[in-house]
Amino acid sequence: MSDRPAPWLAIARYDATGRARGSLVVAGLLSAFLLLFLAFFPSLSTAGIDLDAYVEAFPPAFQEAFGIIAISSIEGFLAVEFYQFAWLLLVGLYLAYLAGGTIAGDVASGRMDLTLSAPVARRDVVIGRFLGLVPLVVLLNVALPVVAYVGVLAVGEMIAVERLAAVHALAVPYHLTCVAVGIAVSTLVSRPGIAQRVALGALFALFMFESVVASTDYAEAGDLSPTAHYDPSAVLVLGEYDLTGAAVLLAATTVLVALAVVRFRRADLSG
Amino acid sequence: MPAIECRDLTKYYGDVRGIEDVSFAVEDGEVFGFLGPNGAGKTTAIRTLLGFLSPTSGGATLLGRDATDPVESRRARERIGYLPGDPGLDRDRTAAAFLDHQAALRGESSRDELVDRFGLDESRRIADLSRGNRQKVALVAAFMHDPDLLLLDEPTSGLDPLLQEEFAALVRERVDDGASVLLSSHVLGEVAALCDRVGVLREGHLVAVESVSDLRSRGGKQVRVRVAEEVDRADFEVRGIMNLRVGETVSFTWTGEYDALIDLLSGYTVLDLDVVDAPLEEAFMTFYDGDVPGPTGSGSGGTSGPDAAGSGAVDSRGEGR
Repeated sequence: MSDRPAPWLAIARYDATGRARGSLVVAGLLSAFLLLFLAFFPSLSTAGIDLDAYVEAFPPAFQEAFGIIAISSIEGFLAVEFYQFAWLLLVGLYLAYLAGGTIAGDVASGRMDLTLSAPVARRDVVIGRFLGLVPLVVLLNVALPVVAYVGVLAVGEMIAVERLAAVHALAVPYHLTCVAVGIAVSTLVSRPGIAQRVALGALFALFMFESVVASTDYAEAGDLSPTAHYDPSAVLVLGEYDLTGAAVLLAATTVLVALAVVRFRRADLSG
Repeated sequence: MPAIECRDLTKYYGDVRGIEDVSFAVEDGEVFGFLGPNGAGKTTAIRTLLGFLSPTSGGATLLGRDATDPVESRRARERIGYLPGDPGLDRDRTAAAFLDHQAALRGESSRDELVDRFGLDESRRIADLSRGNRQKVALVAAFMHDPDLLLLDEPTSGLDPLLQEEFAALVRERVDDGASVLLSSHVLGEVAALCDRVGVLREGHLVAVESVSDLRSRGGKQVRVRVAEEVDRADFEVRGIMNLRVGETVSFTWTGEYDALIDLLSGYTVLDLDVVDAPLEEAFMTFYDGDVPGPTGSGSGGTSGPDAAGSGAVDSRGEGR
């Protein structure tokens, strides 16, 4: 018995191994996406158009949604075209979607029966499934800054390494929160397809809500959204690192996983 | 200490009854069969025992531990093997990867031996395996940690006859080594071949618990006889005869004593006589007619208890470890 790993570790490892290939593909696609945008930058910056004046004409809610501060610098360009869109929205939604299918999927397919017929606590399953997605989060946030840095150099620009590292370091708590949202929904909704869409939809709705209320008197209500606590534009353009936001996101992650444990402990596995 | 003790176990899904007031015990070293049609509650009972479903009321112990307490249940599951009829396996992983994972969760003292015995190719992706081979993967996972208690839910549903034989042999070996078994099936032959006692589930109720040998004797004898004389059907319409067919040969099910049968046939010149056990289905069907004969009666629940080990039950054995 003692030579066996802790169940949560075994579950996380098995899950992460199963995702290895998919994770590499996603990292590759996002790298290609990033490099594609970077390739556009030289022609934009030399076109002689005042892009900053252009984006300033956008409605405040739109500027808020896409974190538009400045777009003509390489930092501003990357923030708007890649980090606000791909890193905040696309990867966030993808992680919530993936996590949404974990526990609900296992229950529906009967895999959970085999897991829980072994001496495994329900808590171990939830934690293991959460941790199983952590390597993907880490891979994305380790591989992409390297790609971004090399890409920026390749188009003949310079970018502060510190800011690039920070935008990814601060993305980790945000992405973990997205995973935790998915895990929590996965214990609440029994059909995996629905759970995936609810997790994705909930995160997107929160993002929209935050964007809309940002320019109203109720801006503080927007703090409910995980997207309010990760601002790649502020990091890249202004060099502002929101450590409080990161702490809030880590706390939210812990609470969401704890809720998932409590919920899953009581649940009937009715696949 | 019984391997399983179930006390008034009840599980409702909202208003829908899964099982109600199910009470029985599986003695140490015994093979107990759950028999009933699909939807009778066999799977619900097993999944409630394993803690996948929390009972609406009642309780159960597995290997002496409270099955409804998460910590106790987990301790019991150290020594339990579970084989579902349609196991959920990761289709995009290889059998080896899946079994490695299962081994990390429960141990694998006899994995290699089982893989060899059932001729499983572990290197293949589970999605590429036939249904029978997928069932083998689940079978290895259920047996590889040498459990003391096996919960087998429709275990042979995907196996071909040859493998069913091998599976039955494996179960018998494990029982000889001291394991106890709860096996569910809607195939009477399978239950009869393996089990000491049978519990009949109908619409969520355990309507009877019988030893297999009692059930067999209740089923009577299938008699086929050819005689030299012309047969008058009325001569055979006597007490103890059922399903009478008169033609070139006379065939019927005989539920009376042998002497009475010999008396009946003594008036004829018997050219050919064939007496075999009647198919158990006939004895079994009586449970489905709502009329359950015999001393165990037809009440729901309470038809058995820890003391109800039938004559077919093997002797209790010591703990396997």
